[in-house]
Amino acid sequence: MSAVVKTATPFINKELLLQALKNIGCNFTLQGNDILTDRKDYYGFQKFSLNNGRYVFLHDSSAEIGSFYMTQPNGYPWGNIKNQEYKSVSEFLKTVENEYQSLYQKKLKELELKRLEEEKRRLEQERIAFIEKQKSTIIARAKEKGYSVKEENVKGKIKLVLVRNTYSK
Amino acid sequence: MAEQRIVITIDENGIINASTEGIKGEMCLDELQKLLSELADLDSITKTDEFYQGNELKVQNKIQNKKQ
Repeated sequence: MSAVVKTATPFINKELLLQALKNIGCNFTLQGNDILTDRKDYYGFQKFSLNNGRYVFLHDSSAEIGSFYMTQPNGYPWGNIKNQEYKSVSEFLKTVENEYQSLYQKKLKELELKRLEEEKRRLEQERIAFIEKQKSTIIARAKEKGYSVKEENVKGKIKLVLVRNTYSK
Repeated sequence: MAEQRIVITIDENGIINASTEGIKGEMCLDELQKLLSELADLDSITKTDEFYQGNELKVQNKIQNKKQ
């Protein structure tokens, strides 16, 4: 017998998880390392709790069949606040997961763009430093050889005019 | 008293163009080599007619380094 197991996206980044919750309309409060959602079950607010580097969703296991309890007297009311419709824990987590993934991909693109910008800036600084070194070396050598040096900037180019007077026959 | 003049331009890509005036014969190339050595690879040297006219005439030579 064989089995195929698929795990959900681990929620590793707190900032992204909070943004995902906000985006799907789930209100939350922070309590230490816990993120308390506005979803309530028998044991209180369902929450994300940091465990081994990822946020695990803690809830009453019977909440998964919450729709049944909602029909019972004193059944606990919980659901998706945004549209006021019931959503099971798995539906809720799937919604959070999709939003988290979407934000994560967006973040990766932003980081890549930032990396490229930084690389571009580094190359530009390297080029400017190289030219500056060329200039200062030439000026130093020219002065050593007795030239007076005049520096100008002409249309983005550095122009150095070296002049020396000599006595010749 | 004679004036020796060297005009050097460095463009935004680090390409150097240099020309000399009033430096006689081969001396002008030596002078440019001393100023620019190790800074760039020479790409072309253009000797003007004056270069070949001996030491008594004004010499103008141009030297250009390779594109980086």
